[in-house]
Amino acid sequence: MSRRRKPKAVPMWRIYSVAALLAVLPLMLVWRLVDLQVLDNEQGASFLQKQGAMRAVRSAEIPAYRGLITDRRGSPLAVSTPVVSLVANPQHLRDSNQLAALAAAMEISPDVLQQRIDQYADKQFMYLARHWTPEQARKVLALNLPGVHGEREYRRFYPAGEVAAQLVGVTNVDGKGIAGLEMAFDDWLQGTPGRKRYIKDLYGEAVRDVGVIKAAEPGNDLRLSIDLRLQYLQHRELQQAIADTGAVAGTAVTLDAWTGEVLAVSSYPVFNPNSRARKTTRNRALTDVIEPGSVMKALTLVAALESGEYTLDTVIDTSPGRIRVGRKLLNDPINYGPITVSRVIEKSSQVGVIKIAQHIGHEPILDVFSRFGLGSLTNSGFPGERSGYLPNRERWSDIEKVTPAYGYGLDATLLQLAAAYSVFANEGRRMPLTFLEVDHRSLPDGERVIDPEIAAQVVKVLHRVTANEGTGTLAQVAGYQVGGKTGTVRKLGANGYLDTEHMALFVGVAPVERPRYVTAIMIDQPQGESHGGGSAAAPVYSRITEGVLRLRNEVPDLPAIDDSTQLAGLGGGQ
Amino acid sequence: MVRFVNQRRWVALLAVAALLSALGVLGTTHRARSQYAELQQLELRRWNLQEHYSRLLLEYSTRAAPHRVHRFAMEELGMTKPDLKRYRVVRP
Repeated sequence: MSRRRKPKAVPMWRIYSVAALLAVLPLMLVWRLVDLQVLDNEQGASFLQKQGAMRAVRSAEIPAYRGLITDRRGSPLAVSTPVVSLVANPQHLRDSNQLAALAAAMEISPDVLQQRIDQYADKQFMYLARHWTPEQARKVLALNLPGVHGEREYRRFYPAGEVAAQLVGVTNVDGKGIAGLEMAFDDWLQGTPGRKRYIKDLYGEAVRDVGVIKAAEPGNDLRLSIDLRLQYLQHRELQQAIADTGAVAGTAVTLDAWTGEVLAVSSYPVFNPNSRARKTTRNRALTDVIEPGSVMKALTLVAALESGEYTLDTVIDTSPGRIRVGRKLLNDPINYGPITVSRVIEKSSQVGVIKIAQHIGHEPILDVFSRFGLGSLTNSGFPGERSGYLPNRERWSDIEKVTPAYGYGLDATLLQLAAAYSVFANEGRRMPLTFLEVDHRSLPDGERVIDPEIAAQVVKVLHRVTANEGTGTLAQVAGYQVGGKTGTVRKLGANGYLDTEHMALFVGVAPVERPRYVTAIMIDQPQGESHGGGSAAAPVYSRITEGVLRLRNEVPDLPAIDDSTQLAGLGGGQ
Repeated sequence: MVRFVNQRRWVALLAVAALLSALGVLGTTHRARSQYAELQQLELRRWNLQEHYSRLLLEYSTRAAPHRVHRFAMEELGMTKPDLKRYRVVRP
């Protein structure tokens, strides 16, 4: 043991240096911690937090509820209902052993599902199904498959279907209005979608919501001036008329002349707004222009009366029933001989109207047309509405000077024609047209277009048109007095006007004693003998107006009773 | 010496304040979380009610559709449009 060396005394500095070294190590750890968690440098706290959030926190849109569209009585025309879209991550789905169960829940064959998943093989996102009812979706979500989840959305339904389809329009799959009033009032109807933040897991499924960034704001409801009952009536009668006459298309408009409200507007062919396979969404009453033909003669009459050269009783000689203008020969069906101005309109005499036009000139006639709103847009705001066209030339040939008087050489939409006639029904005032319900206590003033006296005289003549010797007798409505003007327009083909293709028109006001409702009808290419305005369009006017007057509680033109004993007898009925 | 005692009192006071504030944060966080959970519950409920409401609305408009009413009145109830002969106009 003596060999054992006496341990050498360890110098203190070595102990200190080891201790110092050991002390520095935890300090370095602390420093690193501070560096990562507290200090705000390049790879520091906020950077790491952001990176973490990028991997786990997602934000999602909260869909906003789109406003309801209703008719003037509150019947819904467009309703948003909650639906669920099933989305999946194909990467997670691909290797799932539950595809058969998923296919069964979706009620499709496993092969079809497999095919769809293969299609998205290199993607991270796919729709399994869009816009399912919540019950349907619940079945699939109950499987709790990783990577499959439901997204809440809204889908638009149109309870009135094809009856109001062209007017109300449609939205696209993302809920944006793309046609009709859905498009015109998109900003008003559409809400503001909100955003929320949530934490997701590895499969992309929401673990929990962590907060709302912005709440969704629902859109506003829209109440239209349309009365669904009238709309349906118009739709039904128009469809019936087209079936009866073998026509290819047709359009009808009904206005309340006192308020400027459009009560119903329909056109045929129709489409089903609830199906995504759509054909024509065009609302022909507003987007298609036509040469109005003889219905313009009522406006020519206004110009004649305003000139002071004519009264309703001024006699015009229409013999021999034809007239040469420039190189063109225009004729009446028969020689009417000398007839009054009123008869000229009642019989729709071409010769008579041309003589008036030649006498007063084309400027006052076109001036009346433009005052009545032709050639400019109505302020309905409807997408795709056309303004029509009034001729405006440097040099006018003889024939060009007279064609506007009988409604050729210019074009207009059916809505414009109805709006023009509403001036007669509103004592010479033109109200701004609208598709929205108007508060009857604060009606706009409208624009004075013609003297009330002249308006009354024109209504008188329009009434005579439907009387027993006029061209529009089939427009009569039992129990009421109505007035209107027929029109039969030859359609323009590749080589000028066609003899075989016509459009039948009728524009009328009712009831004559207190005119208020204007209805315009256009039947495109009615077949057979009865292709004229008086035989194809006037009966449709009659049936629609009968319903309009009944539904709007207009009092029939019958002897009134005020004896309560007579009333008592009514109770029993038959 | 007096200054030292004062200082210690301040430190103690601030420590208590810090503790209280920490507890406050705890409470508020908890409340926020539970209220958010409630919000989600209510939103779910709103969603379900909306679903129900729009289904009822659709059902209503399907049943009250003019063509259905028309057919029902004509065929099942044997109703007709009033004949003009049966109209009586009463002077107000």
